[in-house]
Amino acid sequence: MAPRKPREPQVLESFYPVVALVFILVACVELCDAATVVDVYRLIHYDISGVPFGSRAATLNHHASSLHFPSAADLSRSVLIIPLSELNITFLQECISQKKRLGGLLILLPRFLGSDGPKNDDIKCPHNGVGMIKDLLVELERLLIHSTIPYPVYFTSEGEDINAVLADVKNNDATGQLATATTGGYKLVVLAAEPRKLVSSTITNIQGWLPGLKSDGDASQLPTIAIVASYDTFGAAPELSVGSDSNGSGIVALLEIARLFSLLYSNPKTRGRYNLLFGLTSGGPYNYNGTHKWLQSFDHRLRESIDYAICLNSIGSWDDKLWLHVSKPAENAYIKQIFEDFSNVAEDLGFKVDLKHKKINISSPRVAWEHEQFSRLRVTAATLSELSAAPELLERTGGLADNRLFLNENKIAKSIKLVAESLARHIYRYEGKNIQVFADDSSLAVNPTYIRSWLDLLSRTPRVAPFLSKDDPFISALKKELEVHTHDVSLQHEVFDGMFTFYDSTAAKLHIYQVASVTFDLLLLLVLGSYLVLLFCFLVITTRGLDDLIGLFRRPPSRKVKTA
Amino acid sequence: MTVFHFFNCAILTFGPHAVYYSATPLSEYDTLGTSVKAALVYLGTALVKLVCLATFLNVSENDSFDLYQELLKALIGLIDVAGLYFALTQLTYRNISQNHKFQAVGLGWAFADSVLHRLAPLWVGARGLEFTWDYILQGLEANANLVLSISLAALGSLMWLRKNKPKTLIPIIYICALIVATMPSITSYLRRGMGWHFPKVVGFELFTSLVMAFISWQLFSACQRPSV
Repeated sequence: MAPRKPREPQVLESFYPVVALVFILVACVELCDAATVVDVYRLIHYDISGVPFGSRAATLNHHASSLHFPSAADLSRSVLIIPLSELNITFLQECISQKKRLGGLLILLPRFLGSDGPKNDDIKCPHNGVGMIKDLLVELERLLIHSTIPYPVYFTSEGEDINAVLADVKNNDATGQLATATTGGYKLVVLAAEPRKLVSSTITNIQGWLPGLKSDGDASQLPTIAIVASYDTFGAAPELSVGSDSNGSGIVALLEIARLFSLLYSNPKTRGRYNLLFGLTSGGPYNYNGTHKWLQSFDHRLRESIDYAICLNSIGSWDDKLWLHVSKPAENAYIKQIFEDFSNVAEDLGFKVDLKHKKINISSPRVAWEHEQFSRLRVTAATLSELSAAPELLERTGGLADNRLFLNENKIAKSIKLVAESLARHIYRYEGKNIQVFADDSSLAVNPTYIRSWLDLLSRTPRVAPFLSKDDPFISALKKELEVHTHDVSLQHEVFDGMFTFYDSTAAKLHIYQVASVTFDLLLLLVLGSYLVLLFCFLVITTRGLDDLIGLFRRPPSRKVKTA
Repeated sequence: MTVFHFFNCAILTFGPHAVYYSATPLSEYDTLGTSVKAALVYLGTALVKLVCLATFLNVSENDSFDLYQELLKALIGLIDVAGLYFALTQLTYRNISQNHKFQAVGLGWAFADSVLHRLAPLWVGARGLEFTWDYILQGLEANANLVLSISLAALGSLMWLRKNKPKTLIPIIYICALIVATMPSITSYLRRGMGWHFPKVVGFELFTSLVMAFISWQLFSACQRPSV
């Protein structure tokens, strides 16, 4: 026995570094092993003059539940997963108006509405009731952004993983038992920090010039025509607000018009006697806040020199008619002139443009159209749009429903041709003559590939102004594109102020865990314990005999007795 | 709750080793040192095996079953037998009966195997929120492995340590030893060549381990008889 004693500690000592190493390794291991991780996008979280709206929380850690939950169930500790196809607006409305407490809400959008934009095969395959989906989305968005919801609301696009989870949850709910910590099921976890107020967010306006040809000795300034489109969006989920039509179509039209006129203006012979000013403005959903600041920054002479401004807003999915919205009566000479240009060209192109007059109410803070900001400063302006009436605040601002899928590229091309052609007729004084400057097969034709590629980009890029930083790649891309076609491109950064306050954490990762219940673990422990006890008894009986086993219980510390 | 699950799986994976040690006469004769030595030999063998695997085996991108590679792997797996041979014959143990020696060696062997192969995945995986049956199955696999290790050690001790065994039993002993030694390859074939799922494989392992244990026990007692 004697030589053994010093050896055994030695063996153990040699283990210590190994043990230490193991513990260091264990400490480094990150626990991230969910069955499924999906990208989710939070409902917008904002205040209007201090009044809270939207989803007011971001962290989620609850069991999943589907719409088939038992009627008496308490949902305050479960996340309701609702696919858009099963969504019932009245149910949701009741939930919100009765202040029913939910653990959270996860809305599954059809896959083609996902953040990646629609894939080609999605567009090709015929969708039944796509229009219905659009109406539903519009309604849903209107409901959600105008209500205050104390729990987190997330959007995600349908996928195989999440559909499988939903099917499981539905089965479980159908049995009538709600999944809680004791019955198992799925747990949805979003680890997100408490949403914080966005301070000092900026909005950025981009402008570019195409200077006209000055005749020698003419000291007076050339008149200017402004083409303006607001580029930012607002929607229920900031990360999904790509606004293909509102106002992606306007941006594309503006860029294409800039391209076409830069071709004309590069040659002194075809350079017009008008300056062209291109403006991409921000803050569109918030009463054209950015346009207002942009115009304020102009000096008096420049503002005087603007002959008229054409604002482009939602021109991508009209049927047979576009509207020219103005805030001066139709009898006004300038308005009459613009409208005649437009309607003549439209007639040549085979559709109609109608004039709509809406007076501005100076005392109301609401600015429904971009041209109203111009009109307030006594600059003649009009908005070309497919909308027949002015939208309400935060409506038609490029939210969930505004998807590439609902857009018609041909219509955009037609709109572009309409604007470009009528501008050309005004600039080159072709009024009343049937001359096509931008004929389809000429070198000045509207380029559908250019339109498509820009639409693709815009339909992938969420651009809610407060979440766009000063040097956002999207803004630099717009700037670069304008620089290609126009001169003196400049960015104007303005502080985003006014009555809106926004909160961050717009996107997150949702971890879906399949969890076992506590009862299961207890049961398992019981089973394992009895297994070990049985094994012990079996081994004792087979190797030492039954008497020994009984003896173990009779005098518990059997070894002590032996050594004694 | 999840630490609870980890605890459960750990009990299932490592509990039987402790129970075996304390329930059988091993504890009475204080054979822990032997088991520790066997475990160290296992560590060395595992290292040699790793080096061999890394040297001779191609890394296959897909999870398919390649006969040549698998044969090579089985051959390398026989290094285990060499390690066990070393542990049984070359290490000197004081006053320990043959009967206890192979049990202690098999126990140490199986325990080292469990620690090396199952502790880390268990720690990383079973503590997470996500529930899977994998870790429970893995624990069952550890049990089967314990039985197999002790059977192999018993057969080894019959082959190498016992001189006066009945001639008729020798081929049977060798065949059984070969079967037990190639078990890892067989399960690997079932899993990848036949596409069996994990539960089925574990069930098979449990079943064969019990059968092999029974056979080796019978062989052992058959060899014991003439000497008594």
